[in-house]
Amino acid sequence: MIAQGRRVITEAMVAEIESLAARYPDRRALVLPALHIVNRELRHVPLDAVVDIAAVLGLPPAEVQDTLSFYEFFHQAKPHGTVRAFVCRSISCALRGGDELLEHLCQANGISPYGTTPDGELTIEPAECLGACDFAPCILANDDLLRNMTPEAAEAELNKPRARAT
Amino acid sequence: MPTVIVDGHEVEIGADERLNCIEAARRAGKEIPHYCWHPGLSVVASCRMCLIETGQRDPATGKVSMVPKLVPGCQTPVRDGTVIVTESEAVKESRARVEEALLIDHPIDCPICDKAGECLLQDYHFDHGQAERRADIHAFTSRKREVGPTISLFVDRCIMCTRCVRFTREVSGTGELMVTSRGAKEEIDVFPGFPLDNKLAGNVVDLCPVGALGDKDFLYQQRVWFLKREANVCGGCSAGCSIHTEHNQDTVYRLKPRENPHVNTWWICDEGRYGWHHLHDSSRILAAGRRPTGHSHGNGNAAAFQPVEWADVVTGLRADLEQAGRLTVAVSPMLTVEEAWMLCGVARSIDPEAFLALGHVPIRGGDESFPGGFTIRGEKCPNRKGVEEVLAVFGAGGRTWNDLLAHVASGHADAAWITAGYPAAWTDEATAEAFAGLPCLVVQDLFDSPLTAHATWQLPAVGFAERAGTWINVAHHAQSFRQAIRPPAGVWPEGRLYWNMLGRRGLYDPVAVRRQLAESSPAFAALGGDMPETGVDLRVRQLA
Amino acid sequence: MTEFKPVLLEAVGVPDGYTLASYRSRGGYAALGKLLREKRPAEVVELVKSSGLRGRGGAGFSTGLKWTFLPKDHPGPIYLCVNADESEPGTFNNRILMEDDPHQVLEGTIISAFATRATTAYIYLRYEYPQSWHRLQGAIDECYAAGLLGNNIQGSGFSLDIYLHRGAAAYICGEETGLIESLEGKRAWPRIKPPFPAIEGVFKKPTVVNNIETLACVAQIARRGVEWFQSIGVPPNPDNPRDPGSYGPKLYCLSGHIEKPGCYEAPLGITLRELIDHHGGGVWKGRKAKAAIPGGISMGLFTEAEFDTPLDFAGPGKVGCLGLGTAAVVVIDDQTSIVDFLHNSCRFFAHESCGQCTPCREGTSWSLRMLERIRAGKGRLRDLDILLEIGNTMGMMPGSTICGLADGAAWPIKNAINKFRGEFEDFIKRTNPEGWMVTDPVPALQIVGAH
Repeated sequence: MIAQGRRVITEAMVAEIESLAARYPDRRALVLPALHIVNRELRHVPLDAVVDIAAVLGLPPAEVQDTLSFYEFFHQAKPHGTVRAFVCRSISCALRGGDELLEHLCQANGISPYGTTPDGELTIEPAECLGACDFAPCILANDDLLRNMTPEAAEAELNKPRARAT
Repeated sequence: MPTVIVDGHEVEIGADERLNCIEAARRAGKEIPHYCWHPGLSVVASCRMCLIETGQRDPATGKVSMVPKLVPGCQTPVRDGTVIVTESEAVKESRARVEEALLIDHPIDCPICDKAGECLLQDYHFDHGQAERRADIHAFTSRKREVGPTISLFVDRCIMCTRCVRFTREVSGTGELMVTSRGAKEEIDVFPGFPLDNKLAGNVVDLCPVGALGDKDFLYQQRVWFLKREANVCGGCSAGCSIHTEHNQDTVYRLKPRENPHVNTWWICDEGRYGWHHLHDSSRILAAGRRPTGHSHGNGNAAAFQPVEWADVVTGLRADLEQAGRLTVAVSPMLTVEEAWMLCGVARSIDPEAFLALGHVPIRGGDESFPGGFTIRGEKCPNRKGVEEVLAVFGAGGRTWNDLLAHVASGHADAAWITAGYPAAWTDEATAEAFAGLPCLVVQDLFDSPLTAHATWQLPAVGFAERAGTWINVAHHAQSFRQAIRPPAGVWPEGRLYWNMLGRRGLYDPVAVRRQLAESSPAFAALGGDMPETGVDLRVRQLA
Repeated sequence: MTEFKPVLLEAVGVPDGYTLASYRSRGGYAALGKLLREKRPAEVVELVKSSGLRGRGGAGFSTGLKWTFLPKDHPGPIYLCVNADESEPGTFNNRILMEDDPHQVLEGTIISAFATRATTAYIYLRYEYPQSWHRLQGAIDECYAAGLLGNNIQGSGFSLDIYLHRGAAAYICGEETGLIESLEGKRAWPRIKPPFPAIEGVFKKPTVVNNIETLACVAQIARRGVEWFQSIGVPPNPDNPRDPGSYGPKLYCLSGHIEKPGCYEAPLGITLRELIDHHGGGVWKGRKAKAAIPGGISMGLFTEAEFDTPLDFAGPGKVGCLGLGTAAVVVIDDQTSIVDFLHNSCRFFAHESCGQCTPCREGTSWSLRMLERIRAGKGRLRDLDILLEIGNTMGMMPGSTICGLADGAAWPIKNAINKFRGEFEDFIKRTNPEGWMVTDPVPALQIVGAH
């Protein structure tokens, strides 16, 4: 049940995946690194990319999709925004307004949680503890940790252009 | 011998056996309820239904020390002195909680669910569940998802035992099934464009403890409590998988694998599983018939067969064959050993020089093995080995269908009796042509074939579920099975006809024939006693 | 109280403290060199075992003892997995260690790999720590360049590769065998044990999984010695022969309703009240505390009256909490509803339950739905009993689940309801005046929206 032929991912992505192969005695261990590489480039991992990854690694597509879907992290239907904002809702941030922050930002941008603005710029998602409770409530926007956010400050921050996530 | 104590009862297990608590408790007659464990799959211990109390009895002092918490019986091996407790309050409460947990999100589908009556969730609820559901009940019915050409998935009925996923990864090696998402949102699914479509796919329905996976072939056809089942053997190939034929009112509704550690373990292939429809095909030959003498052969205007009463078949067929002269017989590998032996006896009683040979052996592809060890054979008949051994008894060992064709083609036969009984078309015009000139051609088959046009006598055959007897598979394993359903009205199974043609009295008794065969022929000595349900190795000689 | 001079956190605030040059200037890698020259692996194991170092990841198991579970004379490969998946709500000390002093972590990793004869170490790093990723990768590159990693390190004959492996935001990947399954490319469903990872771990080979802070402690024990380590913290209780004590410095995370959230290093055994008052600047906004999480949300709750409990490995258990956990303290003020707290906890665990085993998958999901129904004004007193039953019966402790996530989900339920039952009952009666007394089965709340 292994597909042939390339559908979506590029040779450069394949080369990057292969460059990690020597690190692991089992090619299956490349699944998560491969998902990250594709996600970094495409801002999502569409089903066709799953087939590609499965073919590269010699696995049934269902086994790659099984792993992918477990994390509830990789968008598949369409790319997430150029800025992906994770708003923490775990206890330390919730005690300092995390839930309200999420609600405010979603309303202000006219989207639901996990949604992307129509211009494709911003995705807002709830996240569980970001490990930045010293700066609660906080937001992880691509690689940038936004600290001690208020709804107003967060709105302003998320309107700024931002380097893409690694 | 190691001793295990199950609810206070001692039971001995073999010194070399590696058993878990479920298997050990079974030896003591106790069934520990479980969903996710299966002897043919990896152990995951995730359903938590088999949680029990265990401990160890000190061999010297007899003192029992119990493990302070519950453990899964499926992942706990037993050894000498292991103590198993299956009915304490803690165990009962644990089971009740697992049941409640599984039922919280289970759709109220029993009235429309195929699995009702053989559903572990139902059974365990009655045996181990609690009387009421306490909170957050929401009524809904399950979504249906087509996961493959033969299997439907009722998504919300699934209890996440993962047996089906493990099967496609470990036994069929095809990996079509997956778990998606995480936590209570998990579902079983296939990847779009890669459906559940392997030759062992149907086994996942057997594995599913609830009605999540459904066999499209069986869906909504029959309530299981109306089904009776008989231990049979699949006639689809030379693997000879043990099966149960499940039927009602002489109609087969489905086949299920029957556990046999010597042959098929727990599985059967789809071809075998769904290979019963030919039994109820409306184009079956349903009566014995004879063309009047002097009819023209194979010119497209063959006269119709005149129906013949079976009593008259017994005498009239013998008379025709004796009159014709040199007889040749194709002994079909679809026949049982008993039927083959009697047929050869009948043939030699008509013509002591009768040329006996193995009938046509259908071959389709090669043997196909799967990672879990299961093998589908390319030889699509169940008893070539059995028939070959019978032929050897009659001094005709090694004679093949091709030998018979050559024999007929070179004019050495005046009459031919071709037994067939294959579920599908098995011969062609060119082959049938060889019999065109014979004064007397007897064809005993399930369906018409190119031979029909040349036949003098047309006799019906029966299928696997309609006969009783013994088959011997590719690995010399002999299995005796009983008849599950009656053939269509008016059809005599081959065994009954041969029995009568041998002049034997009363109803055809295949067990008596088997015993006789075993007594008279050393090659079949292993078949002499009571045959265990899982069969015997033919090569094992019983002590005289 | 005397001020404890940070050791684990000594690089915090040091300009470019994360560089190799800075680490070396502060004495870094000298211990590694000495061990490689003078000690055999088994001796390093004995060193760490005798120090009494207990794992800082949450379980508190003796680190050196865990290393001895590896099979002797195994042909290899043996793997060291560094658990950098820090995801326990309230916890962020690993983040600070990785960002501000990655070389301390690496030195501890290399020493531990040497001791366990591991030839490859995978640092399983949670996705949400991009800065840690960059700092660690930079430090790893520096080590390779300086011959501290790779083949034949410093001519010792010991070779080690360290690779970063990135997670994807699943809490259960912080569970030892969940991490291993994730590393192998599968869904992170923790494994049943036995076999234990020391015997059959990642890629079916002997594996040790250690926490970031634990490894930092290894580096410090190697440098400063067992005596130093045992001069800090709490010695074993002489009345309990099985108590290994609570030795060493600990990083305490402090967050929530506190004036100065942050990570503070103190000897094991500081009380929660001391932590709040001395390090945290007291409860915020001049308020009083109602409760506090002692060690990450999985550990449960202290009531304010219990704040004088020492935060060592034995303390929290004495007031009915699961344990010290990650020593992440989250303060909850007296204007916060305990119902909201428990809802947040149940939401977290329902979201993070891996779903493999029935009691946790259904128990976490059901308890969330009950909390949501209670918050929506349709709760009943009976629900508290059902919640307690769920809390009392799911987990590794009763034996009903495969891993400890369920225990972590259960403890906040038990502690919150047992210690604050009055508040729950008042809330239920107040918000559901018509139905709080109903004991018949109740229908589910129709919930719109995903968890």
